[in-house]
This record gives sequence, C-alpha cells and structure tokens, in this order.
Amino acid sequence: MRRDAAARPPLASRWQRRGNAILVGVAGLLLFLFAWQLAARALPASRMASPLTTARDLAVNFVVAPRLRVFGLGRVGYGELLLYTLRNLVVGLAVGGTLGIVIGVASARLRLLRVLVDPIVLVLGTVPVLVAAPLFLLWFGVAPFTQVLLVALYSAVMMVLFSERAAENLDPTYERWATTFGAGLGARLRFVLIPGALPEILGGLRITLASAWGLETFAEILGAPSGIGQAIKALTNLNNAAGLLACVAIVAIAAIATDMLLLALFGRITRWA
Amino acid sequence: MNVGVNTTEPVLSLRGLSHRFVRNDGSEVRALDDVSLDVLPGEFICILGRSGHGKTTLLNAIAGLQPVERGEVHALGRPVRGPGTDRGVIFQRDSVFPWMRVEENVAFGLRVRGLKRRERLGLAREQLARVGLSAVARAWPRELSGGMRARVAIAAVFATDPPILLADEPFGTLDYVTKRQLQAVLRELWHRSGKTVLFVTHDVEEALMLGTRVIVVGNGAIAEDRAVDLPMPRTDDDLASPQGLALRHLLLRHMGLE
Repeated sequence: MRRDAAARPPLASRWQRRGNAILVGVAGLLLFLFAWQLAARALPASRMASPLTTARDLAVNFVVAPRLRVFGLGRVGYGELLLYTLRNLVVGLAVGGTLGIVIGVASARLRLLRVLVDPIVLVLGTVPVLVAAPLFLLWFGVAPFTQVLLVALYSAVMMVLFSERAAENLDPTYERWATTFGAGLGARLRFVLIPGALPEILGGLRITLASAWGLETFAEILGAPSGIGQAIKALTNLNNAAGLLACVAIVAIAAIATDMLLLALFGRITRWA
Repeated sequence: MNVGVNTTEPVLSLRGLSHRFVRNDGSEVRALDDVSLDVLPGEFICILGRSGHGKTTLLNAIAGLQPVERGEVHALGRPVRGPGTDRGVIFQRDSVFPWMRVEENVAFGLRVRGLKRRERLGLAREQLARVGLSAVARAWPRELSGGMRARVAIAAVFATDPPILLADEPFGTLDYVTKRQLQAVLRELWHRSGKTVLFVTHDVEEALMLGTRVIVVGNGAIAEDRAVDLPMPRTDDDLASPQGLALRHLLLRHMGLE
C-alpha cells in the first residue's frame, strides 16, 4: 500500500539544506568575531579584550583560575563553576518546567484550576527578577537551593502560559474521540493533551531555557556559594575584561549547546509531527 | 436481507429530544425538535439530511457529547449521561492521533481499558488486517492518505467492540472511489459483527447503499423514517431497481431536490 500523504524531500536535498544552514551560521559567527576584533582595537585593553585574548584567558583558567581564590570560590576554574550553574539550571528547569506543563495543560481544561492558577501566574510573572532574587536570598540564604527555586519558579510560570495556549490550540476532536473510548481526564492528559500539545510546548521550553540561563547567572551574581555568576562578579571587581568576556563566552557556548541538545531531543520526541 | 436485525428490545431509545442553539446575534436555531426513535439491534440506520438540520446534534446527543435541553437517550437500557464505551464514534474530522503510530491508535481504546501492551497490539493488528492496513501498522498517521486514516479510525472503534457504532459523515471529505471502498469495508465489518450502526450522511446514494433503514432529518425533526428493503450487500443495479429508484426519489424530495 502506498504511503502518499507526506512525501519527504530526498536525503541529498535535506543534507544540502543542512549544509547551507551550517555555512550561513559559520559566516554569521565570523562576522561577529570580526566586529568584536574591531571593537577591541578601538577601545582600551582594560575595557575590551580581543577574541584571541579572551580565548587564551578561557583556556588558561578553565580548570583552575587562581585569581578567583581570593573571592572565596576555592581552587576552581571556569569549567567547574559552569557545571554548578548548569546543574542548578537543569534541576530548576526540570522541576519548574514539568510543573508548569502539567498545570498549564490541566488548567486549559479545568475551569476551577484555571481560575486559581491564572491570577497567581499573572502576579508571579509580573514580579521582576530584580525584585524577586534579593527576596529569595533573604528568605533562603546563599545556597544552591535559592537559585534552583528562582529558576524553577520562573520556568513554571512561563511554561504554564505556553502549555495553556498549546492545549487550547489542540484540535478538540482528539479529546472528544478519546472520551468516546472511556478516557477520563488523567488518560486524556497523558495520552492526548500533553503529547498533542508537545510541539508547541517544546517551542516554549526553548524560550524558557534561554531565559533560565540569564536568571541563574543573575541570581548567582547577587549571591551564591559558586557558579559562573560569582566568577563574573569577581572579575568585574578585578576590572578584568578578558576574564569577563571569557565567562560570557562560556555561558553563551553552554546556552547554545543546551539549546541544540533540546532541539535534538524535540526532533526525537516529535518525530511524528 | 437485514443482517443481524431482530425484533427484540431496542438498543437505543430516544424520547422527546429537543435542543436549541443560540447564535452570536442572539437568534435561536432549533437543532432538535421533539425527536423520538427506537433502534433495534443490528440495524444500520442512515441519518440523512441537509447541512445544519440537526443530524450531527442528534448523533452527538446519542454519543453523550452534547447535553440536550429536553428528552432522554437510553443505550442498552441505561440512560446516557455522557460518552460511554458501549457507543463507539467515528467523526467526520480526522481524529486519528498524529502522535501515535497506526497500531497504537487502533489499540488506544484497549489501552484505556487497561489491556497489556502485547494483548492490545495483537488485537489491533487483527483489526488492521480486517481493514487492509497490516502493511502500515508501524507507520505514523502523517504517512497515510485521508482514506487510510479513515480506515484506522474504523479499526480503532471496532477494536474495542462497542455494540453501537455512531458515525458522523466519516467519508464526507473523501474522493468518490475511496468513499466507495470504505463503504464496502464498513459494510463488511458490520455484516461480520452485527453491530448497530447510526451513520450520518448528506449523500442519498450512500444512505441507500448502506442503510437497512433511512431516517431523514429536517429542521431538527424526523421527516421520514423508511426501511430499505433492498438486498445486502447492495450493488448499483439494486439502487437502479424500481424499488431503489422510488426510494431515491422519496429521499431527494425530502432533501428539497425534487
């Protein structure tokens, strides 16, 4: 029997498109490095380091960054500090994201839950991080839990909004069909609403992930026992432009890498789409 | 020959169903107007009518998907308060889950009932074989044509073996050839299973080809309720017989076409 509804482009054509995308990406990166180099030439070295100086700083301090020891961060390098940041981010995003998805999808179908959830989300969503982060520090102290909680809370708020909309956009015929098979709300959530809304939810998760990097780093700058945010704070005090740019670069690289990982995971999970 | 039809207690009983919809401009549409009907086991009833005359509302009320203002529906002697596994439904819109493989779609109802994976997939494959889709059991729905997805929907409903099947213009969007093929598939499954079928259509030929009884709905009320005493399975020649043509003219008159 012929499968005729969704003919995919030939493999060679797909590879060609992928190759073109990589080429454009590399060209964009080169352009960015060129602009960076121009800026480094125009500004004094104390304010702007060149891409090469930054890369050298990153390589030298990746395992151990001696100048950070005086700030109470111990014998650590950018790599270990980034791991701390990454761990908090992953835990916060996993907890907050999961909660947000389940609450968001459920509240799209349960009026009472929505009446309860929407005002909370509205209030939490409008509280600026600049206000929430110091409060969290005050309440929970300088501990990893504080940053995890902040990331989890904001991730949950964002994912509730994305998931609510994703579930509302899903064709109601699927859910109606499921009910005719005897599926209750739990089964409809598990088998219909969440998987059906997943492509749109995952799009939201990418935006939430990008925001979570900023949140986590900012929370660490305000006060944390470790993390790349603490390194940024220390290097700012030292007026070390190369170190600062190295930390920004390492966060950017990690953010892009996690986004690519997430994208690959999405491709796998939503291969039906 | 009316396969499986007997004269025992009705499997479906509708009493005084009435329902109105309110349009955005405040005006009212009477979708159901005091509809009463008894459906006997094994009947294949085609509900015929023009668009917007209450066919789908009637079917949804029987399915338990549409609460009505007045009246009662009883299925297998029990009052209908919502959807139930005694009434399988095939929708006009594509309802096959795109995120499940074909065999998982067919096994969905069995999964909800708690059947073990091996058991439910075995039953699903049996149904897929009956609708001629064994070769695409592991495919994604997006890889199938509209006609094949309609077969998947039929197989999914038959897999759970509901005594009553409700179909809301399931072939309405398909091309003529595919529609005829699927009519044959459904007729064959009905013939084997002896289920009671309520099939909504706006196609007079389809109603005459499939139904043991045709009910014409107009302005929310039953305008005609007629047994189709033509041989089963039917051919185009049967429809062209004097009896078939007389029925066709009668139905067309009710549809406002003659």
